[in-house]
Amino acid sequence: MLSNPTFLFLQTFNAIALGMNLFIIAAGLTLIFGVLRVINFAHGAFFMLGAYVCYSIVEQAGNFWLGVLGAGLALALLAWIIERGLLRRLYARDPLAQLLFTFGLVLVLGDAVKFIWGTEQYSVAYPAGLSRAVDLGIAHYPAYLLFLCGLGPVVALVLWLGLERTRWGRIMRAARQNREMLALLGVNVPLVYSGVFVVGAALAGIGGALAAPRLALTPGMDANIVIECFIVVIIGGLGSLWGSFLGALILGLVTVFGAVLVPEWEMVLTYALMLAVLLWRPWGFFGREQG
Amino acid sequence: MRKIAEIGVAVLLIVALGQGGWAVEPIKIGVLYPTSGSGAVYGTSAMLGHDMAVEEINAMGGIGGKTPIVTVARDTKLKPAAASAAAKELITKEGVDVLMGGLSAAVGLAISEVARREKVIYIATIPKAIHMTTSKLHPYVFRTAPNTDIEGRGIARTIGQLGAKKLCQIQFDYAYGHDLAAGIAKALPQEAAGAEIVLDLKVKLGATDYNTYIAQIMGAGCEGVVSGLWGAAFITFAQQAQPFGFFEQIKYVSGGEIASHEIASKMKGNYPDNVWSNAYELWYHDASPLHKRYQQELARRQGRPDTDGWPILSYIGVKFIEAAVVKAESVDTQALIAALEGLSIETPVGRRTIDAKTHQANTGQFWGPMKKTDEHEFRIMDPVTYISGD
Amino acid sequence: MSRILALLVVGVALLCIPLLGSRYLVDLTTEIIIYALFALSLNVLIGYAGNVSFGHAAYFAIGGYSCAILLTTYQWPLWLSLPAAVGLSAGAALIIGYFCVRLTDIYFAMLTLAFSMLVWSAAFKWYQVTGGDDGFIGVRVPTLLEDRMAFYYFALGVVGLSVAALWRICHSAFGRTLVAVRENPLRTGFVGIDVRKMRLAAFVVAGTFAGIAGALFAMYNRGMYTESAFWTESAQVLIMTLLGGMYSFFGPALGAAVLYLLEVSINQYTEYWPAILGTLLILIVLFLPDGLAGLAQKMRRSRKA
Repeated sequence: MLSNPTFLFLQTFNAIALGMNLFIIAAGLTLIFGVLRVINFAHGAFFMLGAYVCYSIVEQAGNFWLGVLGAGLALALLAWIIERGLLRRLYARDPLAQLLFTFGLVLVLGDAVKFIWGTEQYSVAYPAGLSRAVDLGIAHYPAYLLFLCGLGPVVALVLWLGLERTRWGRIMRAARQNREMLALLGVNVPLVYSGVFVVGAALAGIGGALAAPRLALTPGMDANIVIECFIVVIIGGLGSLWGSFLGALILGLVTVFGAVLVPEWEMVLTYALMLAVLLWRPWGFFGREQG
Repeated sequence: MRKIAEIGVAVLLIVALGQGGWAVEPIKIGVLYPTSGSGAVYGTSAMLGHDMAVEEINAMGGIGGKTPIVTVARDTKLKPAAASAAAKELITKEGVDVLMGGLSAAVGLAISEVARREKVIYIATIPKAIHMTTSKLHPYVFRTAPNTDIEGRGIARTIGQLGAKKLCQIQFDYAYGHDLAAGIAKALPQEAAGAEIVLDLKVKLGATDYNTYIAQIMGAGCEGVVSGLWGAAFITFAQQAQPFGFFEQIKYVSGGEIASHEIASKMKGNYPDNVWSNAYELWYHDASPLHKRYQQELARRQGRPDTDGWPILSYIGVKFIEAAVVKAESVDTQALIAALEGLSIETPVGRRTIDAKTHQANTGQFWGPMKKTDEHEFRIMDPVTYISGD
Repeated sequence: MSRILALLVVGVALLCIPLLGSRYLVDLTTEIIIYALFALSLNVLIGYAGNVSFGHAAYFAIGGYSCAILLTTYQWPLWLSLPAAVGLSAGAALIIGYFCVRLTDIYFAMLTLAFSMLVWSAAFKWYQVTGGDDGFIGVRVPTLLEDRMAFYYFALGVVGLSVAALWRICHSAFGRTLVAVRENPLRTGFVGIDVRKMRLAAFVVAGTFAGIAGALFAMYNRGMYTESAFWTESAQVLIMTLLGGMYSFFGPALGAAVLYLLEVSINQYTEYWPAILGTLLILIVLFLPDGLAGLAQKMRRSRKA
């Protein structure tokens, strides 16, 4: 199989598309950890909510892109409420408390999805215009996946520019280093924190909406994605944007080629990868070494 | 005078009751389905069918007009440990006479083990794991669901009739996938002579990306695919395969009841061409009076005429208990076991008989291709062929 | 003094449970004491050593599967199978712990998770030995223990001895050093304590007793399931420990009892158990950081005042 250049070409594109979709979701997770130092277990639940919201919007309004936008906005709103109301009381507490809180969120949000949308499995159609395959010369390849391949780097670039070149970005990076100093300098740190959580959650929601045409929407879809997100940010380094980008690509490649080369061990691969990274370089490619 | 009359009436009543045959006390059925978590979609469907059958029977005063059914339901959460504990609780605390339900193989086997130890009848209405009626068979377990051998035969016959010779197989890498593959392998030589599986793909349970498999199948040049990707997995697979034009040339024959209306109605226009699959019951098929009555009631409960195909399984389970109690004229466990062995009843989907030796009912399924129609947004099976479990 | 009294009361109550004549109560109590031991074992890691593990279910599963397989497939007698199973989980804890204690905090937690998911994968894939996802059904339990009451007393005895052992370990010099390591690893290191070795020792102790709980679980259920090795099982025992209170020795046992009873009873009324558990968790985190045991302590103190 691998000697076939067409196959290789197609699978590589698959890996990249998979990775890019994953990156958009994981970017939110790493952002939240980078600034807030919170491990957001509920990130998968945000992803799931984004997908379901997109489905509902598509059912009502018929437009996929509206669904994506709606998913982002809905998650932003939800995240704002959660952060302002509950999460911010836990910043002074130990990481375990925050972790447990987000885990509790997972359970509550999961049942909320079940309550609102029921237990049935839904599907979302590909957006018009991106539903068929494109002739790439060597082979035909689904347009939607090509779109994802392109979107990933764009999102990465936008986020990076946002963090490096804008005032808000600078403030976020400073908050990562020293929030007390930042507060002394007159910056509304609580607002920054809310902002980061909101942006992170919105990214997860958008990622979920974007993933919707390729998946079945079903309760429990959050469990798989959260583990994958964690692997991505661990490979890349907790808090590093480009780390997540690289991590997502690596996980995409391992998933796709692992399924081809060692199909019997597919389920082991992701955990083995996590294990390998944690044993060899726990802080990931771009993370900071533990003190 | 009045006193004598009262005593007389009382005596008459006592005598009459004594002659009644079996007790007027209700029969308690312990029901175990997943109503939370990822199995919930099947669990709620199963409870619907169960409640429907029970209410139907109780509306006439109970089994035989005198033994009402009392249902005690517990959520298994698709976890064998929870199911085992719940089954024990139903027996020891609630004092149920019969256990019913289960969804996954692990849960079914766990409940079966409890039934064996506590000496209570367990009717497996959904789990297809082959071991339950083979290596793990014991006197107290009965299965009214089909098993993976029956399903495998259905797949093999369908692909045989289509004349596809070069086959690819895609199954989940877990017990059901292995068992179904074994069932297909057993049946292929008789049902599809000359057909051969040239590519055997195993997918990890919970996989969300099927691109590799799609590419491999298309690259292998198979005429047909035999599959066990059920439920959400089929939806995901179809969504991911369609842009590649997967379903244009390849005949996709799948177990896992993806021809059920639940799946077809959710996928609507996204349901691909060239798919043959099975279903336990189809709302649009078979106008027999028994089926019509079943359909009407189910439609009333679901609020729509196009009803789901899963409730029938639990419904049939309850009907079997009803028939067994009538035949045994008792709710005593040993009498019920004797009654269930070889018991044959009419169901909305045909006649079903429980084999006296294997305790497995000859439950077959409806097989056929899924076609587009003008009247509906969703696809329907046409033509419908019943492949029996014999 | 009041603590000893409370313990005596609980002990006597547990001994009398079977005499009440309810099979259900005996079953329920057996399940609770097994989970209580599991939670107490985890607390050696979380409460005493201060290391949060997301993968504790691995040792529970290894203990359970080993015992089940030795008893049934190899027909070993119980007095060989049980210690062997416990030994295997201790050994696994030693090997896995060796790698995990090189990390701290979230990385430690993630590594324990990764290892435990590998254990799960092994249980899942090795179906010739473990039964795979069908589960290992039909564990052969010695005839003496086949009776419900007999097994209950056996389990009670094993759990009782284990808890006593854990008590000794946690209140010994070793236990106190662990707490010192938890509070200030840097300073304890300066004093000459091998911090890493201490944490590994705690890891092994935790894994050993989890293995005992797992073996009891397998015998009680006459079966072992892959779900017992999945991360959701680790999460559940973690919640039990925290609900009960990780800064108290018996807290986790209380947490296990409360959580299990809640789950069983609420299950009978609503299918939305996850939402209730989640809300409970959030409330505990926000308002009851020291768990139920902490709440009890506060109430006792405020009464004394």
